[in-house]
Amino acid sequence: MKETDIQLMFCGSAGDGTIAVGDIFKRAMAKAGYKVIAFDIYPPEIRGFGKCISRVRVTSRQAYSLKQESDLLVSLNDSYAIPHVPEVRDFGSVIYDNAPITSMAEGEHISGHLLPGQLPYGLRIREISDQTTGGSKSKNIVALGYLAGLLGIKQEPFHQIIGDKFRHKGSAISESNLLAFDTAYAEGASTFRLDFIELGAPERQEIGSKVQMMTGNAAVVRGCLDAGLDCFFGYPITPATSIMERLATELPRRGGRLLQTEDEISAIAATIGAGYAGVRAATATSGPGLALMVEMLGLGVIGEVPAVIFCSQRGGPSTGMPTKTEQSDLHLAVYGGAGDAQRIVLAPTNVEGAYRCAGKAFEMAEKYQTPVIVLLDLYLSNRYETVLLPRQNPFEADSVKHRSNVERGVPYKRFAFTDDSVSPRTIPGEEGGIHVITGLEHNELGRPNDQSDMHTRMSEKRHKKLLAALDHPGITIHKRFGDQGRVDVGILGWGSTVGEILEAMLMAQAEGISCSVMKVVMLSPLPNEPIRSFFDDCAEVLIPELNYEGQFANLVASAVSKPFTRLNRVPGVPMQVADILEQIRRLAGRAKSSNAA
Amino acid sequence: MGNLRQPVYLEEKLKQVRESGRLDIRSKALPTWCPGCGYFSIVDGVAMAINKLQISQKDVTIVSGIGCASRFPFFLDTYGFHTLHGRTLPVATGIKVANDRLTVLAVGGDGDAFAIGGAHIPHAARRNVDITYLVFDNGIYGLTKGQTSPTSVLGFTTSTSPYKNQDQPLNPLLMMLSYGTSWVGQSYAGDPRHLSEMITQAMAHRGFSYLHILSPCVTFDKTSRTYINLKAQVRWLPDDHDSSDKMAAMKYAMDTDNPPIGLFYKESRPTLADNLDLVIESARGRGARATV
Amino acid sequence: MGSTQHYVIIGNGVAGNEAAFHLRQRDPESRITIITAGRLLFYSRYELPRLFHENCDWRDFLVHPVEYYVDNRINVRRNSFVTHVDADRKKLMLAHKEEIHYSQLLVASGGASYLPAELDEFAPLLNGFNLYSSACKVRDILPQKGKVVMLGGDVLGLDLARNLVSDGYQVVLVTTEQTFWPHRVESDERALFIGALRDMGVEVIEGVKIERIEQGAPGMSARHIQFDNGREIFADVVMPFLGLLPAADFMMGSGVDFERGLLVSTNLRTTDQNIWAAGDVCQIWSPEENQYRFYYGWKNVKKMGEIAAKNMTGEDIHWETATDQKLFIDKNRQLISPYWEHD
Ligand SMILES: Cc1cc2nc3c(=O)[nH]c(=O)nc-3n(C[C@@H](O)[C@H](O)[C@H](O)COP(=O)(O)OP(=O)(O)OC[C@H]3O[C@@H](n4cnc5c(N)ncnc54)[C@H](O)[C@@H]3O)c2cc1C
Ligand SMILES: Cc1ncc(C[n+]2csc(CCOP(=O)(O)OP(=O)(O)O)c2C)c(N)n1
Ligand code: SF4
Ligand SMILES: [Mg+2]
Repeated sequence: MKETDIQLMFCGSAGDGTIAVGDIFKRAMAKAGYKVIAFDIYPPEIRGFGKCISRVRVTSRQAYSLKQESDLLVSLNDSYAIPHVPEVRDFGSVIYDNAPITSMAEGEHISGHLLPGQLPYGLRIREISDQTTGGSKSKNIVALGYLAGLLGIKQEPFHQIIGDKFRHKGSAISESNLLAFDTAYAEGASTFRLDFIELGAPERQEIGSKVQMMTGNAAVVRGCLDAGLDCFFGYPITPATSIMERLATELPRRGGRLLQTEDEISAIAATIGAGYAGVRAATATSGPGLALMVEMLGLGVIGEVPAVIFCSQRGGPSTGMPTKTEQSDLHLAVYGGAGDAQRIVLAPTNVEGAYRCAGKAFEMAEKYQTPVIVLLDLYLSNRYETVLLPRQNPFEADSVKHRSNVERGVPYKRFAFTDDSVSPRTIPGEEGGIHVITGLEHNELGRPNDQSDMHTRMSEKRHKKLLAALDHPGITIHKRFGDQGRVDVGILGWGSTVGEILEAMLMAQAEGISCSVMKVVMLSPLPNEPIRSFFDDCAEVLIPELNYEGQFANLVASAVSKPFTRLNRVPGVPMQVADILEQIRRLAGRAKSSNAA
Repeated sequence: MGNLRQPVYLEEKLKQVRESGRLDIRSKALPTWCPGCGYFSIVDGVAMAINKLQISQKDVTIVSGIGCASRFPFFLDTYGFHTLHGRTLPVATGIKVANDRLTVLAVGGDGDAFAIGGAHIPHAARRNVDITYLVFDNGIYGLTKGQTSPTSVLGFTTSTSPYKNQDQPLNPLLMMLSYGTSWVGQSYAGDPRHLSEMITQAMAHRGFSYLHILSPCVTFDKTSRTYINLKAQVRWLPDDHDSSDKMAAMKYAMDTDNPPIGLFYKESRPTLADNLDLVIESARGRGARATV
Repeated sequence: MGSTQHYVIIGNGVAGNEAAFHLRQRDPESRITIITAGRLLFYSRYELPRLFHENCDWRDFLVHPVEYYVDNRINVRRNSFVTHVDADRKKLMLAHKEEIHYSQLLVASGGASYLPAELDEFAPLLNGFNLYSSACKVRDILPQKGKVVMLGGDVLGLDLARNLVSDGYQVVLVTTEQTFWPHRVESDERALFIGALRDMGVEVIEGVKIERIEQGAPGMSARHIQFDNGREIFADVVMPFLGLLPAADFMMGSGVDFERGLLVSTNLRTTDQNIWAAGDVCQIWSPEENQYRFYYGWKNVKKMGEIAAKNMTGEDIHWETATDQKLFIDKNRQLISPYWEHD
């Protein structure tokens, strides 16, 4: 069967329905059974008609990342699209309006900017929109219809999605848009194809799971809901806001409660409060918010209170680059706060992982009585992927909520030392379990105590109990891909960059380089042993990440004594696969020559 | 004054307290307050209120911040959460959102409330979170040994304002009234009966109740908010004060020379929990319609 | 010549591309823009019959690799249709309403296949062969050993005919006065050449006129042709090969002199200072024949492109009237047109 792997790019202004049409396209492709990964770029300014780009990669098997080059560009606004023309590959195509309403100076039309290897497809986009809908608003739908006809994709899924999309606007609008689509579809279908953009048949669906397309943040929400989230507290911040927005609709439907607090300190405080009161509670933020939260996080650690914090990173420091992606809050997430305050930090690498980590975070928070940070980034939060969600809810519910151990007439030892360092726990309202939680160092009863041996034992307890999380069932803590056994080049990655890393690895393997990737999902506590044995297997190790300081590399450096190579980039956009590949090649060369020596 | 210049260590005071054995009755935990501190009367006031309102101890959670005042939860046999400096209200809010059946008290000092925690108060008030907030106002930072607080009077000399405090003090009652607090009252540590009565009323109120408690810090304030001074200054709110008249309440609140004690203002309106229930109801309504 | 020059060439054929090549050689700093209605880079149309016996696509027909255009900074503006030229303001207008200014303009827009008015109504049932896309269409609809009816039979058609026959298809040629165009065939040679075609395996029908062309009934051949003498034939594809007409409508109103093609003197300049013409679109003054006349074929048009480019960049060289290239029968009794060879 022919494999499909094409990437489309829609570019226009906010007023052109650019993101909307990208959305219809990816939904239709997912409906048709293809795998999709997609990432939209919005203008940083809210008002006006800033540049929007929607990139969609359609494959027969789930891809790890978007491609550097697109096969097809649809321009809904030439002045915005022109700078992106070079991203279209040789013999790929560009679709644009060739009957604009006003005349223009040389160079203003996109057709003049095509590279020699690219193919132009001009269409009377605005005219067709006018004729079919009586206005130019449906230019995006016309362009979509044309490209669907051109590529010979079935109309069915498009009809359904367009119908759904416009249903609330009334049947007249819905019908005129369908007409716009069909008219342009016919144009596309009768246009002689010159490009080499080929669509194979979609893959069969796996049994026992359902394929859905969603963003990382939507997956987080699904994970929260499936894990039985009770309370959510949040303060809006890009790129985490959509988690709260979605939950604001979904959570009350399931009887849950959501509160928009006055700031992030309040959000985490309420989350800790609710966790202390025995329910599943979470908050979501980005770096600046997490910076405000770390004091309270420390209270969660010493008070041994379950809490889940989603942090979607953006460019920093400070307010930094709010609409750009980066992986530079790792130090903050792992180390942020006063004292030795180890907590669990999970960093999913893809949308499906975001779902799992979100749900498992609640289990872990309760089981190990600790705050759990789920670290995402703007790229992962906002990108769409088709994911296979299990039909059976994979998360444990209430069973691990608390382990009370009440003896009558004896003060309750909320912080009792136990074999696994996890103490029994009661929640307010429970008979016989009265205790006070404090941010002061305390004894087993929770009474303030700053004796040196008590502090030593309690510190040990708080750290030791987390090690069990490294074997927590049902979640990937780390995973190795590619060549097994001894390899020339190993690439160690975390977070969303693992997508680009895996793509680079596949390319390197295709070039005959022996290489392997290890992704690390749990960043705290760090799976030291598996990382060390990965190092033992690799002649050279590369650690690519989207930050300047090499924050993950720093973590790794504290766990292994061997040298490795860092690849740090802060472009504000996902790392380039070619960049990683180049490093792999270089290291492979070095490995070869040292093998020979 | 000479006294203040000499370093005074809380640990030393603690030792004295322990040796005196005076505070054993309070709780099984070792009290950490200086002998004579105004806070002791508040513990009794709350214990009496809980008793009077017949609330089971297991259903009470006392949330506090950091400060001498915030040590409070350790001295009562209820659930308690001694949190962070200034974060009393948001933690208490979280607990109430999680479980509205719990009786939640929030306690803290004047610094905890109006300095570091100032941003949280208006929001707890406007949301009408069903908790009782007791602020122990000694006009000083007790735990950190005597620095100026947002309620320190003008001209007050402390270790951080050795050339006299120049910052206009806040008027907490006026603030609370303007924030939309649904129950506002004032009492003082020198009148345990009034105090326990006011605490009982505050706890009985459904919604956000705020009780301002004037209290001396006997260790670090020898000149300003002393028992003697307070006793001379405080007045009872007149009997004819209409507690539903916010303007009148505000007028009384502005009398800082002779702080009136009693119930300033009271209103009845839906609590945060009521409103969240409404949200659930309407979400379910909409959800049901959407799936039809 | 300075770097400020913008040479604009209308036409992406042999003439235009040859001119672009020489312009770049002679004025390295200048801007060069080729404008074409088509969507492809310059490809060899002469090799299109390969489509019938090879697995190939347009990339295999490209005359220059993609890098050539990058290296030589030749911007080929494809899918851009020139609607008119304003010689006074030295600009031209594209159908998508973009204005292009030029310093010097070369019109090399070639010719479009000619279809007489009486066949107009059947146009949707006819298949052309002048573009890659139309050639692909024919290839795709023609069944194995299928039947092609050619109307006329200019040299382009005859070239295709001999290719089709050798690939096992059936070819029927309906002669007209355009048969053998642009060769001038004397009446005494005609029978000889027709005979050679028949020897080649082409069925030739002479002396008839088309009455109707219809869509064939379902399950039957796709086309049904009726002649004025009552004869009917069936075919899978009907293709007109009736010669070319200069494609220069857009020059109307530009003030440049025009007969059937653009009139140029022997240095290939039109009556406008800054406008030149080359290739199938132009009629060159022939002092010998005392008239403007066309010269077809890749060798001729290529030479024209070169001359125009050189004169546009300051030379003064002239077109020399070439002797007509004759159709002939070689020693293997094969019909041969000099146009069929190309480089
Ligand atoms: C299918 C075919 C096969 C042939 N085979 C042979 C052969 O084997 N040997 C041989 O010697 N001769 C052959 N010829 C004849 C060849 O004679 C022509 O003489 C030669 O191709 C003409 O080249 P040209 O550059 O003048 O124009 P063309 O090659 O015809 O190019 C004309 C260009 O102008 C563009 N154009 C036209 N109008 C506009 C407009 N308004 N706006 C923008 N662009 C426009 C077209 O898109 C095209 O790119 C063949 C011709 C055809 C059509
Ligand atoms: C974030 C933070 N900043 C500073 C402190 C130090 N600190 C502890 S209590 C306190 C002031 C206490 O004053 P107040 O709230 O009036 O309580 P009091 O001791 O007077 O009862 C300060 C500044 C702290 N614990 N946390
Ligand atoms: S407030 Fe003053 S008197 Fe009371 S415990 Fe603190 S330091 Fe002592
Ligand atoms: Mg104080």
